[in-house]
Amino acid sequence: MTSTEAATGPGPADAPAVEVSDLAFRYPGADHDTLRGVDLRIERGDFVAVVGGNGSGKTTLCKTFNGLVPHYWSGTFEGRVRVLGRDTREVSVGALSHLVGYVYQDFGNQLVRPTVRDEVAFGPVNFGLPDHRERTDEAMELLGVAHLADRFTWQLSGGQQHLVALASVMALRPGVVVVDEPVAELDPARAARIYEVLEDLNRRLGTTVVVIEHHAEYVARYARSVVLMADGAPVWHLPTRAAMDRAEELERHGIPAPQVVRVARGLDPAAPPPLTVTEAADRLRSRHPHALPPDRRAVRVAGSEPTGETVAELAGVRHGYRGVGGDLSVVLDGLDLTLRDGERVALVGGNGAGKSTLLRLLTGLKVPREGTVRVGGTDTRTVRPNALADRVCHLYQRPEQMFLKDSVYEDVAMFPRGRGRTDTDTLVAEVLDRVGLSGLAGRDGRLLSGGQQRRATLAVGLATSPALLLLDEPTSSLDTASRDAVIAMLDALSGTIRCTVVATHDMHLVAEWAGRVLVLDGGRVAADTDPAGLFADTALMESVGLVAPEVTRLGLALGVEPPPLSVPELVSRLGGIPAEEVGERA
Amino acid sequence: MRRERDRLSVEWVKLELLRTAYATRGGLLAGRDPRVVIGWYLILAVVPWFTHNVTVLAGLFVVCAAAVVLSRVGPLILGLFVIGFVLEGLYVLFAAWLFGGDASTVLAMAEFTLKLATVSLASMAAFVSLDPEKLSDALLSLHAPAMVSFGVSYGYRMLPVLMEEFHTVVDGHRLRAAPLASKGFLGWRVAVRTATTLVAAFYPLMLNTAKRTRTTVEALETRGFTYAAEHPDGRRIRLAALRADRWDALFLGATLALVAVCFTVGRAFPLLGGAV
Repeated sequence: MTSTEAATGPGPADAPAVEVSDLAFRYPGADHDTLRGVDLRIERGDFVAVVGGNGSGKTTLCKTFNGLVPHYWSGTFEGRVRVLGRDTREVSVGALSHLVGYVYQDFGNQLVRPTVRDEVAFGPVNFGLPDHRERTDEAMELLGVAHLADRFTWQLSGGQQHLVALASVMALRPGVVVVDEPVAELDPARAARIYEVLEDLNRRLGTTVVVIEHHAEYVARYARSVVLMADGAPVWHLPTRAAMDRAEELERHGIPAPQVVRVARGLDPAAPPPLTVTEAADRLRSRHPHALPPDRRAVRVAGSEPTGETVAELAGVRHGYRGVGGDLSVVLDGLDLTLRDGERVALVGGNGAGKSTLLRLLTGLKVPREGTVRVGGTDTRTVRPNALADRVCHLYQRPEQMFLKDSVYEDVAMFPRGRGRTDTDTLVAEVLDRVGLSGLAGRDGRLLSGGQQRRATLAVGLATSPALLLLDEPTSSLDTASRDAVIAMLDALSGTIRCTVVATHDMHLVAEWAGRVLVLDGGRVAADTDPAGLFADTALMESVGLVAPEVTRLGLALGVEPPPLSVPELVSRLGGIPAEEVGERA
Repeated sequence: MRRERDRLSVEWVKLELLRTAYATRGGLLAGRDPRVVIGWYLILAVVPWFTHNVTVLAGLFVVCAAAVVLSRVGPLILGLFVIGFVLEGLYVLFAAWLFGGDASTVLAMAEFTLKLATVSLASMAAFVSLDPEKLSDALLSLHAPAMVSFGVSYGYRMLPVLMEEFHTVVDGHRLRAAPLASKGFLGWRVAVRTATTLVAAFYPLMLNTAKRTRTTVEALETRGFTYAAEHPDGRRIRLAALRADRWDALFLGATLALVAVCFTVGRAFPLLGGAV
């Protein structure tokens, strides 16, 4: 045993993983406590989800576990936090990292070394642990990243980076792992993979897992207990099923219950909540023993012949990028596509399927290696991108990259002013009002919250009055309330913008908003359909790594054809209360 | 008509910088112990300043040029070097003519240029062959402060991130800035626009990067970076991986022998300034 291990040790064997008593914390310079009166006990081997609205103190609470609060963030700290029996005030952050591992929401920034192996070894080597090599190999093996050992961390996909970040904290063999919003920056298939890995760690090694999570469906499926945070203190800490039973209370705190729970409640408010699609399907099948007949009334007008005028057109497009090795990786190959007036298009497909490339080709920032891209009849090769910008607007996945000026107002005004529009001021005021940011016009966009940033970039887009609006993952890393606000805003845009294309992994967005779905796979359009058509084609969904919303999967499991897209729809079709009374939105 | 280019485009510059920084091309020096590479570099960077013999300098130049070829230095870096070298040569001739110098002035300045070129070639060969991990370990073993060696590896780590961020911001300007009415005489408006865009891109770039580093700094703390600065164990483990073998010794020996040959030949056949 080295001196570090001796210093931290496993602690008293019967001590709980985390024990918080009467904790209050205030950041330096803040005018109110971020945490107040926190009492919490997390048992060893538990899988805890910490849920709560934005600003409820979830992240700050979790940073008290590994001592960043109060050692690194030195505010006013009262009360006591014990981790595996040790008082965090008496142990250094370095020593605490042997007890608690922390994976950040922006995990990409916690990778500090060039290669994967070096990254994972960084902790053990810094602490001078003689078995650093075994620990490194063990952690990489544990998370299934051993085959990436010699890769540079910037070459990895988001999902792989997350696994490496997790491996690098596991290399110190902590008893507790905290993971901050794993779903925020990953697509559903990869997020599910992270959760499976965490479940595996929890089961095999007995590691206590604490996740901060907005998405109730992951909470219901993987967590064993739930802590609801509000105003800097836990409201309650309950076993998952009991927590899901309080769906209304969760909803009040901005955490809509999982769709399966809402379907079950819509049909029978008194029944205990199901936690997974399978469980819900089994229960509903026993309640509705008769095979469910296809409901004719619910058949949508699908596949009607497109009539709108052409907004953009791609013909025989081939495009790809050179890698560091000099090889050309072809992303789009022989792609043909027409986008028409009045369409709401969702562009879906696995990572690397070419969604972003397609959007960039439409902006004219890139021109295809072969084939033609026409926007409003103009070949993108013949004009400069800023000439096309009058017709096309592209909103990036990471909103902060869209802020070029030092205030939201200036960013929105940049385009119309540059094009000499005399009514710039009126236009900007109108657009800011429309996205509800008039009060924040003077602020720097980078300092806004995630949801506000997204709305600010929408304002930037609206001020360019485009015919074709392109959005890259507009709902990623937003909490549910901000997400719904963005979707509502997209709904409202349809009058102003002729065609909107959204590249997304968010199947709820697809179900609720899209009219047309394009599935990209193998460099071309693998399917051109509507949301119900997409979700009904389970083979296609699986092959491109997509996961349908819970309610759709439940409907399919029950044999409801065509698959339902929202909770009210399924409830009404299963013969429960009419759709209008169940609620407006899935 | 615009088309996608694989060379002399922004994408290409980005890839070339990555290939250079991360030594992805391999080569003679990439396989050597990084301390030996730094030692090799120091020899060839210092020796040229001890002589005025043009034969010796030409010999050293050839040695370094051979090292550049064997280290597979990429076209971007090499191209920039050649352009710089040619411009410097023209400047020497021009300066000598302008200030009424004669052949000896040109010769003296050419000798200086040759020394600079030799050192540049040696730097290219050495640093193209050192990936960030090796470089930071070598610096650590040479007793550079932990902050410096980490800073070097972290700088490399940030390089692709910074390039991506910068490219995105510049693209934002390309799309959203006012179109130019005309290019102006010799395209001066384009030049001014490019320059102002680059300056304007700096502010968002720095702010976005600063936001990212907050997580990094916390992560460093939790992973024992401060601990390692105070305790020698980590350093010992990190450096245990560095091991010079007989090929490294042979490599250094060969370099010293070549330098000796240059000096011997230089003494026997001095060119022009050999008297000094």
